[in-house]
Amino acid sequence: MATKTIRVDYLARVEGEGALDLHISGGRVTAARLRIFEPPRFFEALLRGRGYAETPDIVARICGICPIAYQMSAVHAIEKAFGAKVYGQLRALRRLIYCGEWIESHALHVLMLHAPDFLGYSDAIQMARDHGEAVRNGLALKKTGNELMRVLGGREVHPVNVKAGGFYRVPTRAELAPVAESLKRAHEIAVALVRWVATFPFPDLERDYEFVALRHPDEYPFNEGRLVSNRDIDIDISAYETEFEERHVAHSTALHSSVKRRGAYLVGPLARYALNFDRLPPSVQALAREAGLGPVCRNPFRSIIVRAIEIVYACEEALRLIADYAPPEIASVPIEPRASPGFGCTEAPRGICWHRYEFDDEGTIVTARIVPPTSQNQPSIEADLAAVAAPIVDEPGDVIRDRCEQSIRNYDPCISCSAHFLKLSVHRA
Amino acid sequence: MIARVDQTPVLVVGLGNPDRGDDAIGAMVAKALAGRLPANVALIARGGDMMALIEDWAGYDALVCVDAAAPLGVPGRIHRIDLTKDELPAEMSFASSHALGLADAVRLARVLQRAPQDIIVYAVEGRCFEHGAPMTAEVSAAAEEVAHRIIAEVGRLQQTTAPGYLN
Repeated sequence: MATKTIRVDYLARVEGEGALDLHISGGRVTAARLRIFEPPRFFEALLRGRGYAETPDIVARICGICPIAYQMSAVHAIEKAFGAKVYGQLRALRRLIYCGEWIESHALHVLMLHAPDFLGYSDAIQMARDHGEAVRNGLALKKTGNELMRVLGGREVHPVNVKAGGFYRVPTRAELAPVAESLKRAHEIAVALVRWVATFPFPDLERDYEFVALRHPDEYPFNEGRLVSNRDIDIDISAYETEFEERHVAHSTALHSSVKRRGAYLVGPLARYALNFDRLPPSVQALAREAGLGPVCRNPFRSIIVRAIEIVYACEEALRLIADYAPPEIASVPIEPRASPGFGCTEAPRGICWHRYEFDDEGTIVTARIVPPTSQNQPSIEADLAAVAAPIVDEPGDVIRDRCEQSIRNYDPCISCSAHFLKLSVHRA
Repeated sequence: MIARVDQTPVLVVGLGNPDRGDDAIGAMVAKALAGRLPANVALIARGGDMMALIEDWAGYDALVCVDAAAPLGVPGRIHRIDLTKDELPAEMSFASSHALGLADAVRLARVLQRAPQDIIVYAVEGRCFEHGAPMTAEVSAAAEEVAHRIIAEVGRLQQTTAPGYLN
């Protein structure tokens, strides 16, 4: 029986080390496996025995692109464990720094990593020859996000100003004023970006996802809310382990997550958007409709539009928060450790980032569990690949390969922050 | 008659992750240069985000970068590459952890017409790039030599790069 193997040694524009195996037999896709062989980093184990105050700075190191997500999930878990409540302007500043992370992360992905797929370029540098203005705008957006991170976090990558209870130092209004000017320009760019990406050619694919995201009574979610799905999940974040499980599969060093009762689910922009469309400001809803989106989008390729919509939202929200800002009297609320479990769940750019810690009475971590977004999406990525490849199994290998790579990039997967390597093998029997 | 208007804006950047063995050479040289460059020369250290670097370059006519290069057999050996004349050698593998390496950043900046006119790269061959590893002795020993050369380089760039002068 003839077997055809097509191999791509480097898929640049994906974070981490992985490979994809696609098996085609009898004109059908029989298996689609995203093999992740990135070495495990054992963060949960190395957190044991460390003090609660060290936690935000340690977990920030998990990801260079979304350190705020890890810091925010950790500080909320610590505060929940110790019965502390962050409110008012300190709470607003946390939303503000998260806006910065969404802007820089989404801008990087939409313009530098994902857009070239739709326009037929091998990378952003090639794309820049014909679409220089778009790439310049992407850089400007990313810079604005970084600026927010720097002003609030002390630096753009692995910020150092976040602590349990608030911040080490809060900004003055004068420090935020120039950021607001950048955000106004970024907002204009982001609106134009939505209109631009909406014109891209999109493969005709709809998937029946179980979307999972936070839902807050009156906000598009960053840090708080109940964990909900479009099926029947509506739980406190502390009940995550009753509905969801992680299991080891032989072909991945990253644990696969599933809804215990059903299987694969989806986190990230498509899920957030579908479950929280009514929480977006009317102006952003109108822009989404103008871009051809309904209140739910099930086409994974159109996630690029939803990411652009979320950049617009993050700019608007950041401008609102800065306009309303008055420096709080204290940079952080007091923290009194006690022996207790604590749970945190926040919306990283790629989806929910769930943390559970068990602290002793001095605030030392006894156990830690961290569930990042990309591991939760692995089964959905594999199901997408099978669905994407099914109608094109008879096409040449490079056509299948290109479409599969694009499909993986729909997720902006953050397999790790250390390398980019993805081998694709198509086995035809 | 040549009238000096102002000195050419020069940016010096130490690149790399200070916590990954010999990748720390960029940050080490930047530290060694602190306070030793003319007041109008900007000096920064940067980690892996080369796209942010493209924004850092805006407004400078000349750029001097220090980065670690992949092992080529002689740890600590210093290479000077003038990007107005040469490309960054592929075998030096200036890898970044996020999306773009230095060579890509330079290419992208040039396409976008945002690259400084002069770009000089000092590449120091490394041996070990493990997380948390110490620097190789030969590589750290090269830092002062690189700093000396950059001080001279900056002086030369400020003398020869055209935009600071009017005839």
